[in-house]
Amino acid sequence: MGIGWVILATVLAVAGGVIGVLGVREERTSRRAFFLMFGVFGAQLMALGWRGGLRGSCPLGDLGEVCLFLAWSLTLFYLVTGTTYRVSLLGVFTAPVVVLLQGVALIPGSFATEVMKKEVVDPWRETHAALSVLSYGALALAAVAGVMFLILNARLKSRKLGSGLVAGMPSVSRLVRAMFRITMLGWLVLTAGIVAALMMEVGSFNAHLLVATVTWILYAVLLGVYLWRGLPGKHLAWGVIVLFLGSLLVFGKL
Amino acid sequence: MKLVCLGLNHETAPVEVREKFALSEAGVEREVAGLLGARGVEEGVVLSTCNRTEYYAVVGEDGGEQDLENWVCEQRGFLGDRAGLFYVHEARGAAEHLCRVASGMNSMVLGETEIFGQVKQAYRKAHEGGATKGVLNQLFQRAFGVGKRVRTQTAIQEGATSVAGASVELAEKVFGRLKGSSVMVIGAGEMSRQTARALQSRGATSVMVTNRSFDKAVDLANEIDGRAIPFSGWEVELEHLDVVIAATGAPHFVVKPGHVEAVRRKRKFRPLIMVDIAVPRDIDPEVGEIEEVYLYDIDTLQEMADEARRRREEQLKICEEIIREEIDKARLPAVNG
Repeated sequence: MGIGWVILATVLAVAGGVIGVLGVREERTSRRAFFLMFGVFGAQLMALGWRGGLRGSCPLGDLGEVCLFLAWSLTLFYLVTGTTYRVSLLGVFTAPVVVLLQGVALIPGSFATEVMKKEVVDPWRETHAALSVLSYGALALAAVAGVMFLILNARLKSRKLGSGLVAGMPSVSRLVRAMFRITMLGWLVLTAGIVAALMMEVGSFNAHLLVATVTWILYAVLLGVYLWRGLPGKHLAWGVIVLFLGSLLVFGKL
Repeated sequence: MKLVCLGLNHETAPVEVREKFALSEAGVEREVAGLLGARGVEEGVVLSTCNRTEYYAVVGEDGGEQDLENWVCEQRGFLGDRAGLFYVHEARGAAEHLCRVASGMNSMVLGETEIFGQVKQAYRKAHEGGATKGVLNQLFQRAFGVGKRVRTQTAIQEGATSVAGASVELAEKVFGRLKGSSVMVIGAGEMSRQTARALQSRGATSVMVTNRSFDKAVDLANEIDGRAIPFSGWEVELEHLDVVIAATGAPHFVVKPGHVEAVRRKRKFRPLIMVDIAVPRDIDPEVGEIEEVYLYDIDTLQEMADEARRRREEQLKICEEIIREEIDKARLPAVNG
């Protein structure tokens, strides 16, 4: 089925997002959106299996695969952490990001058509690539929680309380906890990814690793400040959003 | 054989009349037993709450609502003017009325849930006393089904309809569950008491009360199982609080930005919800400019309560539809003819 799995995952994510939005409008937290994201996850796994089979290694060799892997890790962390609070609403915010990433993957040319199957695989390189993208899934989800927090915070501060969006959202405290925990999880996975990079057979301290290290340090500072000094939720939210988008932008330029 | 409902409630009778007809738990049992001895009554259930007393009866050919009314007034020794005091519903009308009552649609606070339990208890007492048979057993079971459907399929019970309830709703929007949260009430008036009680009912464990007159603070603290704090030292406690309720009669601001600024670092910038239910206001609006502070005044709370009431009223149509559907399903000659 190949590319069909990516299309299916995207269609399911669109459906999950739409059902989630409708649920918010009707001020109901529907579980259907959550289950649709399960479907998205399954289709993504099949698609990654297809690309992994072609490459004989972790499927992170072109733009399509990176986007797909990132979308998969985002869905994975959503499914793992989402049940701790209002799942369907987090899905409403997560699904559009997944759709966007898979939309990019579906642009003709994003998936390389001629793929050379690797004869020799460096396990540390594969581990580094997989963990790095996986960590970005968690950091993306933290940014999604950050956006949710900013919306809720703005509405609560301005006393615009009558909308279904506010009614369906988790509490301020839960969102702050979620941002911190998911960022910590992403940072720990990123740490493991950087350690794997240092263990690679043919490795050098290149620009890629430099950016990864700087990103790692900035996240460590953010988490450290939050943990020891404390931060207003709004500052934490902007921190996780700016760091995620900033580092993604820099990595994109490399 | 027909179904009759005779009753009075907060809409038809003032409290001084309602209290004449109100029955204790033991009184209900006696009333049910007596009701079966009344002329023409074959089955009966008596519901008595602070806002209503109602008699649901299945009467034979030789009985009727007038006999029932006379019997009730005789039992209560009521000799006053009855005009407009009682309402009477028959057959399908009585069944629909019971469903409305059980669903909270006929309550003083639209959509309140306590009435459902009270109707259940009234039925249980009558059933145990052998006063219910084929008609009322089926009818009450149907009404409980309607109550459940209304609760789960409509939004008639959603949203707080009082200032105290709205305060709780806001606090939950910020903190999620209030279990273990710390509350300070500044001012020891009725609104403070109501709001503190509402927060406690949702899990707030530590409630402090402060007031210019310390004696009043102690009285309220004792009443709500809280702790009284001298007015001169309330700022110190701010470090540990989650919710501040201000309701003093002071003509100036009691809580100022400096009070919160002084403890922000110690609080590690944790969210703090401040509810100002005083007029003139007790909390300087500039306090709300502090990032982690969520400040609401009486107007916001009143607006929330009004909005919730309006939304509950909008649900009535859906509720009526559910009742119609369920009564249609009931195969009771005494109800559907």
